[in-house]
Amino acid sequence: MHKRSTFWARTSIAATVLMLLSLFASSQSRTVTGKVMDGSDQSVIPGVSVQVKNTNTGTVTKADGTFSLQAPENSVLIFSFVGYQPQEVPASKGAPMLIKLTAAVKSLQDIVVVGYGTQKRNEVTTSVATVKPESFNQGGSRSPMDLIQGKVAGLSVTRTQGNNPNSGASIQIRGISSISGNMNPLIVIDGIPGGNLDLLQQDDIASFDVLKDGAAAAIYGTRGNNGVILITTKKGKAGDPQYTYSTYLQREGVAKRPHMLSAAEYVKVAGASNNQGADVDMYDLLLDKNNLSHYHNFAASGGTVNSNYRASLYYSDANGIAIENGRKQYGGRVNINQTGLQGKLTLAMNLATNFNKANLNGGNSGDKAGGNGADFEQAVQRNPTAPIYDANGKFIETNGYNNYNPLARLQQELYDRDQKTYSGDARLTLEPIRDLKLSAFGAILRDEWNDRNYRSKLSRSSIQDYSGGGYAYKGNHTDLSKTFEATADYTKTVNSDHTFNLMGGYSYQYQTLETYDMDNNGFLTDAFQDWNINAGNAINDPKLPRPSQNSFKEDNTLIAFFGRLNYNYKQKYMLQAILRHEGSSRFGANYKWGNFPAVSAGWVISKEAFMQNLTVINNLKLRAGYGITGNQGIPNYKSLITLGTGGAYLQYGKWIQTYGPDKNPNPNLRWEKKKEFNVGLDFSLLQNRLGGAIDVYSRKTVDLLFGYAAALPPNIVDNIFTNVGTISNNGVEVVINAVPIKTRDFVWNSDVTFNSQRNKMVSFSNNIYKATEQYFGDLPSPGNLGPAIRVVEGGPLGTFYGYRYAGLTDDGNWLFYKKDGTKGTPSEVNQDDKVVLGNGIPKYMASWNNTFHYKNFDLSVFFRGKFGFKILNLQDMYFGNKKWSPNNMLSSAIGKNSKINADPQFSDYYLEKGDFVKLDNITLGYNFKLKTKYIRNLRVYASGRNIATFTKYSGLDPELEDTALDSGIDGRGFYPRTRSYTIGLNIGF
Amino acid sequence: MKKTKVYISAALLALGMSACTKLDEKPYSVITADNFYHNREEVLAAVLRPFTHANAWAAPTGQTGYWRLQELSADQLAWPQKGRHGYDGGNWIRLHNHTWIANDDNAWNPWRLMFWGMGFCNNSIADFTKLDFTKIGMTDADKVSIIAETKVLRAWHYLKLMDLYGNIPIVTEVGIPETPPTKPRKEVFAFIEKEIKDNVEQLKPLSADMVGRVTKAGAYAMLVELYLNAKEWSGTERWDDCITYCNKIIAGDGGSLSGSIPALEPDIFRAFANTNATSPEDLFQIAYDFRNGNFRFGWNGDFWHYRQRQVYNVDRDGNNGIVVIPTAYDAFKDNDLRKQNWMLIGPQKKDPALRTSEGDSLVLGTEEYNNKPLVFVKEIRRNSEGETGPGGMTRGEENSGARFAKYLPGKLDDPNYWGNDFVLYRLTEIYYNKAEALMRKAGGVATQEAVDLINTCKKRAFKPADWPKEAYTTSSLTMDELLAERGREFIFEGKRRTDLIRFNKFTTATWWDHQPSADKYKLFPIPFRQMSINPNLVQNDGY
Repeated sequence: MHKRSTFWARTSIAATVLMLLSLFASSQSRTVTGKVMDGSDQSVIPGVSVQVKNTNTGTVTKADGTFSLQAPENSVLIFSFVGYQPQEVPASKGAPMLIKLTAAVKSLQDIVVVGYGTQKRNEVTTSVATVKPESFNQGGSRSPMDLIQGKVAGLSVTRTQGNNPNSGASIQIRGISSISGNMNPLIVIDGIPGGNLDLLQQDDIASFDVLKDGAAAAIYGTRGNNGVILITTKKGKAGDPQYTYSTYLQREGVAKRPHMLSAAEYVKVAGASNNQGADVDMYDLLLDKNNLSHYHNFAASGGTVNSNYRASLYYSDANGIAIENGRKQYGGRVNINQTGLQGKLTLAMNLATNFNKANLNGGNSGDKAGGNGADFEQAVQRNPTAPIYDANGKFIETNGYNNYNPLARLQQELYDRDQKTYSGDARLTLEPIRDLKLSAFGAILRDEWNDRNYRSKLSRSSIQDYSGGGYAYKGNHTDLSKTFEATADYTKTVNSDHTFNLMGGYSYQYQTLETYDMDNNGFLTDAFQDWNINAGNAINDPKLPRPSQNSFKEDNTLIAFFGRLNYNYKQKYMLQAILRHEGSSRFGANYKWGNFPAVSAGWVISKEAFMQNLTVINNLKLRAGYGITGNQGIPNYKSLITLGTGGAYLQYGKWIQTYGPDKNPNPNLRWEKKKEFNVGLDFSLLQNRLGGAIDVYSRKTVDLLFGYAAALPPNIVDNIFTNVGTISNNGVEVVINAVPIKTRDFVWNSDVTFNSQRNKMVSFSNNIYKATEQYFGDLPSPGNLGPAIRVVEGGPLGTFYGYRYAGLTDDGNWLFYKKDGTKGTPSEVNQDDKVVLGNGIPKYMASWNNTFHYKNFDLSVFFRGKFGFKILNLQDMYFGNKKWSPNNMLSSAIGKNSKINADPQFSDYYLEKGDFVKLDNITLGYNFKLKTKYIRNLRVYASGRNIATFTKYSGLDPELEDTALDSGIDGRGFYPRTRSYTIGLNIGF
Repeated sequence: MKKTKVYISAALLALGMSACTKLDEKPYSVITADNFYHNREEVLAAVLRPFTHANAWAAPTGQTGYWRLQELSADQLAWPQKGRHGYDGGNWIRLHNHTWIANDDNAWNPWRLMFWGMGFCNNSIADFTKLDFTKIGMTDADKVSIIAETKVLRAWHYLKLMDLYGNIPIVTEVGIPETPPTKPRKEVFAFIEKEIKDNVEQLKPLSADMVGRVTKAGAYAMLVELYLNAKEWSGTERWDDCITYCNKIIAGDGGSLSGSIPALEPDIFRAFANTNATSPEDLFQIAYDFRNGNFRFGWNGDFWHYRQRQVYNVDRDGNNGIVVIPTAYDAFKDNDLRKQNWMLIGPQKKDPALRTSEGDSLVLGTEEYNNKPLVFVKEIRRNSEGETGPGGMTRGEENSGARFAKYLPGKLDDPNYWGNDFVLYRLTEIYYNKAEALMRKAGGVATQEAVDLINTCKKRAFKPADWPKEAYTTSSLTMDELLAERGREFIFEGKRRTDLIRFNKFTTATWWDHQPSADKYKLFPIPFRQMSINPNLVQNDGY
């Protein structure tokens, strides 16, 4: 049934046992005896459950591993024990039986969440990765996705601004699958599609399950193209009430600083006229060197056989490396489960909240190619001889183009966000007859924030743009999502070998977004900040910039019918078929609904008779699947003929707003469709000391949505948002889990993930719409050098396209190769001389995690790397150039770039190899074994994250966001990348 | 009983199901086309949409449209690279050098913007034709004049497109045909002429009420432009037709913004001032009013220095882009009031209201002249590095070149602050055009009537004491002199390329950093992007 908790699994098993007990089977019995041993080290195993198949007769092995029980003739005994693979053996009379159990590959028995239900790992036929808390990245995490960075082959997680507490993680599964649609995986938290990651704290998460291939994701239909990440939170367990408390302290330190010219070097380049006499390191002044973050999570849980609960409260105060750059949050999560009505009716409920206050003033970053104006960029380029204050204590603004004093801005402005996020869901499950479960699920998710912005009267912005009258802004934003789902699930086993599971359901989701904002200026005093916005005189004084008010609302609906059939023969052959029929309000009248089918199969080769003698192989399973998914992640109202405003115009002395069509209508707007084929092999060898999986996939997204060039005329605008192109991704993912050393006191686990993926823009065109190329990554002002990335039909995404460096002229001007092979200066080259220069999307990613356990100590060492890509170093391009004077420059301006005597130009001169390996996490922990009944467990640990980077890239950090179409451009943001040091404590009592 | 229950349940289920599968989008903050044209204002909102759009391409407001191609490819204005600023993908250098190609933003963006505006006209013509005006409180006479206005406005779009690209497709209905074929320039010319002539008499005459709209006066001015360039555009001279329509305008047949007939402004600033909505000289303009319409002719971006707001005490700065080519600056005599008033040169002083102290009177530079006084110089060269000579397109500095000052916004506290309309046709141009037609008819020799027309205009640009020496005579007003004088009078007005082509100088002359190009550059290429999706387009010769 739906996302079953471990608790649920247990209760159902218990129920089954009870029912079996009630069916009394009578037949002629005889005594069977024997002994159960461990297959690898021949030690006896006490406590093994021995049961006569299809009866309620059973016993457990004694301390010496022996057993004895009454079994009917021709019966089969089932031996099972935690940590071992169950074995079925025909009962033999006479001589005692000798049973050798093989240690179970633990993961094979794991419950895997697959969307609207769970499966056992060994029954899974698709590409699904599961990560549990014991494998999480340790230390403080800013986003839940940090916990599994590098843990899942094919899942890319990058922090676009390092450890900025107010930045999110950018996540992507198996590469870019869309151009203008959504590129992020669907997040499902405890069954709520589109769950909010802010509602999750690291200690509340029980598992991540990542549906990677189309055959797995098809159950989520129109939102499956980018894969699905299902997150399950922790639940209470029957037994004594328990408390757990987790906490950590964390500090950030700058990993690598940019090298700017010193004051003396600067004066040499910029000339004495720019010497203002002081020697200031503005970059240093923007750092919060005493930053300290702390986190607390306190949870209480418990329960009985029929009900359980878990409640947790958390508080965290995260401080970034930058000043004015923090986030305080608190909230809680409550989960209640109860089974009643003679075990026939189950209720599961979750409530979760997050209240946070973010200081967004500092740490703003223009990391993307087009961005500038970030404080750290200003710090890097600020004239180092310029004092911060004048004699009267007023801030000194340097005069250069687009310059501002970042310290002044941070002190004179305020930008806060007050955010509240809530979710509540309830699921009622009725089991009217055995193995038929009818369930209804409802959820509400609300995310709202209020932004405040005030720029004091003396601030540069106020003086320049608001006649010195200050500026106040308030804005609010509310996302609301309501979900209702109903499912029916039936399991039937025929002849004990054939197991069928049939699940069907209906899903309805309605979402709205509402915003409102206003601003004003012309304040007499700073005293109100934004809390008396009516006091601004711009309302009355037409000479001041006009105050503004805006409001906005949009909605969309998603409705689906879905079903899944699973068939399993003797746990040896499995088959799964999925169909989702889904409609979205966003699409054209002619194409509201789409079908998303998938089929997959698994074959456990190691269960075949011919494999039984190959003891080196413990498990070998072949999986293959094909699935079609969709992407509805586009803006609302795109298929409608809407009118847009065009500014006011004069008619008969009166100014009225004008309206005209704002796009070419498209009643045929429909889903992007992804067809994916995946073949996988799961293996476990050498007494399960070496295991892993290999997946090979080929995915093709067709009907790609894009603003295609439309013939103009006859159309009104030059593009139409329609389904034309095709994009393909092919890749290999390898996961290896090894236990190289395992002794009583010392265990070494070593896990490797690797993936390689290639994408191709197969086509931009069909019979009607044609495009030959698309451009991304516009390079910023000054210079406006145009886009750095071009994608052509048949070529890969992320291709750098520009002039090829051909040296410098004697006086230091650029020379580029022209089409005919000759060389030309920037004024002599044109679009036709540009060529392909490299690619910014990594071709390979790998990670290597090692965990060592020695007695009570554990140590984990985690490496991560990306390979096969180039980086356009914009920092060097703009700031490593003498022409950047009178601003300060990077030291490369008088170093490796000293011969350049021309303004920045984009060419392969600034492309560098981006390959890197990071020592991403080292954690040393100690588990105290306390002989007290008050403390259940106690662990302390120390972690370091982003400890070392091995790369030839000369910039600050080669790890860039690589999930976008303009990947590979290292922007001019300079928000510091940090090393994080954490000490933490987990205690259970 | 049991059956009834089944029926009821089935009915309930069906009811529930239909509600459960409804996928309508409810527009809250957008308006759909089927929910429009309920009243007069909504009709006018559609009529006026192409006018606000023309702001983007006809006026120098920050996009590459008709205006930039007309001026930056010609001999008066340029956007040189100024240090690290202004390379902009080499676009401006290619315009100046005449080295643009089909796959060039310079070819694509004007096409995109102008056909887009034309599409607005097609769309509303079709909507209005279907609409019953009497049901929304308007009359059939309104319908006729509104459709006529929109058709003439459409013809004006085609006129300007034909000027740039020559051979273009003609489309009068949205979406039909899917891939329209290129028509030879001559056919486009004939279409424009017919459209204007068929509709001009249904238009309202120009009046204070019709400022910024297409009126008889504006339509006559379009015909004047069409006939003045008829030789180049259609192969046939039409000097008499040109003179006929000039005369209609001068006689007041098309109406006037103020007074009964159009009149020359005695003051050379008045036609461009922030009160020019009432100028009797202006015939067709894009109407702007920052105070009342929050819509301004934003020339600051293209022309002004990063700190130029301090000169005027206004709320905007600029991107330090377009400047006057040194030879064009030198083409004005020093005593020419147009040189003194329409261009900005020399040290730039802060508006007194912005000075914080006695010594704080100068605007400072931010780049080559960081913290030093900003002094605009006529040269475009690296003066800060000691460069001498003519300079060039990549040799600019932040203070290079004389600056645009023909339009001035007024200060922030001016009640008409930034209320300037952008003038598309003014009476002075009609005088010049008529004079030119007369001279051409006379074999390139000035007649006394032609001299009088030009002198009437030119006289305003000189102090009475200087005027006797500056007045033209039938011998001094040669064709070359007429072209030079047109340049001085209409600098910054987006007309220079057309004039140079008509005088056969555009591709043959040398100016400043520009060498003679080739004949094909008289037309811009059909944009590569459109060539690749519309197989019925034919590329212009040579591209």
